[in-house]
Amino acid sequence: MNSIAIDRSSAAARPVPARPRVVGGVSAGETVIEARGVTKTFGDGSVVALEGASFEAKKGEFISLVGPSGCGKSTLLRIISGLIPKTGGSLSVHGREVTEPRSDIGMMFQKATLLEWRTAIENVLLPTELQRRVTADDKRRAAELLHMVGLKDFEFAFPRQLSGGMQQRVALARLLQTGADILLLDEPFGALDEFTRERLNVELMRVVAEVGGTTFFVTHNIQEAIFLADRVMVMTPRPGRLAKIVDVPFERPRDLSIQQSPEFNALVSEVRDVLGGH
Amino acid sequence: MSVANDLAVPVGTGLGLSPARARLARNLAIFGTIVVLWEAASRLGLIDPLFLPAPSAIVAAFVSLYVTVGNAWYHLGITLVEVFAGFFAGSALGIGLAILVGLNATLRRFMKPYIIVLEATPRIAVGPIIIAALGFGWTSKIAIVMLVCFFAPFVNTLSGMLSVNEDAREMFRSLGASKWQVFRKLMLPDAMPMIMAGLRLAMASALSGALVAEFISANEGMGVLLKRYTSTLNMDATFACLLTLTALGFLIFRSMELIDERLVFWRSDARAAAVGRRRANAFRSAAIARGA
Repeated sequence: MNSIAIDRSSAAARPVPARPRVVGGVSAGETVIEARGVTKTFGDGSVVALEGASFEAKKGEFISLVGPSGCGKSTLLRIISGLIPKTGGSLSVHGREVTEPRSDIGMMFQKATLLEWRTAIENVLLPTELQRRVTADDKRRAAELLHMVGLKDFEFAFPRQLSGGMQQRVALARLLQTGADILLLDEPFGALDEFTRERLNVELMRVVAEVGGTTFFVTHNIQEAIFLADRVMVMTPRPGRLAKIVDVPFERPRDLSIQQSPEFNALVSEVRDVLGGH
Repeated sequence: MSVANDLAVPVGTGLGLSPARARLARNLAIFGTIVVLWEAASRLGLIDPLFLPAPSAIVAAFVSLYVTVGNAWYHLGITLVEVFAGFFAGSALGIGLAILVGLNATLRRFMKPYIIVLEATPRIAVGPIIIAALGFGWTSKIAIVMLVCFFAPFVNTLSGMLSVNEDAREMFRSLGASKWQVFRKLMLPDAMPMIMAGLRLAMASALSGALVAEFISANEGMGVLLKRYTSTLNMDATFACLLTLTALGFLIFRSMELIDERLVFWRSDARAAAVGRRRANAFRSAAIARGA
């Protein structure tokens, strides 16, 4: 198979999002997400899915949300994405309250949900296509992103021709194509086998660092949560609650071998202790 | 030479033919044998020509219908017009209505009982009523074919649209897609395999529908010709008409299959690979044209 005839070296210097950022001149360390007492109840308010979560996220931070099912981690992620409304508290992204899906916030799901009648590159171009006319630059950018997630030479493969891991790579490229700098990932590799998941996690770390996105990563795997994140938000169920935020002091990028270190294991124990009571 | 021998030893294997050609040769041999046996039995008076005419008689009737007298062309044309006009109008109506109903939950609730009643009614029973209303000409036949062709595309389009994956909808929502974009870029292509299956069903019933409509009451069309020859016990010509309709049915079936393969290319590995290669080439030549 042949690759696409494009000049990748000049493309690498191009700024990442095709779409203008909401806040201009964002400096490192600036708070981009601010949540105060975010609550979600169902029915008449008696079913509490998420109770008063308060946290902040700085630009470029990688935050894991870990906890057993029913702890409200997916609910919280969907509230940040604007897909579902919160019933209490306040949540602002880039200084603006989130009320609906926005172009500066992108979401990736456990299922790749690729459109099976579109090639990989056409799937990646979908977010752009839904906003405006697709230009030659957009196509070049989509090809670069596929390259970045390790799918060079698969631009014109249809989803049925790709493995589960490759499909999630396409979904990741599609997320980056949105140009959003807040990346929400809901157990993105949860349906894949252990080995593929580990490899994709390492690549995910590299890719989000490359685009400089602020990332929220939902998982129920403690090791994975710690390995990837700068901070781990530990959540407990009945009612869904943000129990503790654990700092992870390791420098990024990281090697899989840090998982053997005593410091890493101490963090695992710390998280497990918080979850242990539940 | 006997049929049993042909089945036991593939014809042509000793002649260096490819397996496909050998299969074709064997099938032709079997068919030829049947025709020869049939002709012989007819000539020996073993088969009543009123029940089944000899192959040679059917061929002679064919030549008369389509060459020497040529009277069948007109009737074939009329039937074709009825089939295609009815099919296109009926399935367009079915698909269009299904899209409206599929996009609007209120309309869906309101329409449901009527759809159930209409679906439960045998369509062809409405035939005489339509003929009474629209007359004996081909317009009433088109209306009957429309009726016959309405339901399969309607039901399939609707269920195809309603079965769209909830995750994909959520993904579209997170990308800020409008209702129209969700329909155009998600629901419609996603429903395409179902819509095509509905269209194939409709096309298959369109021909039967037109013929039955012509049987009920008409002055022209293949159904009329068939009925006329049967009632005068001209079985040679009757069988020639029947074979025409078989060929027509086969052609229609095959073309629908080909259209299906093209429109729903992503369901087959080979076709998907071919389409992928074509799009890659188009992309590459566009990049070269830009001078990239």
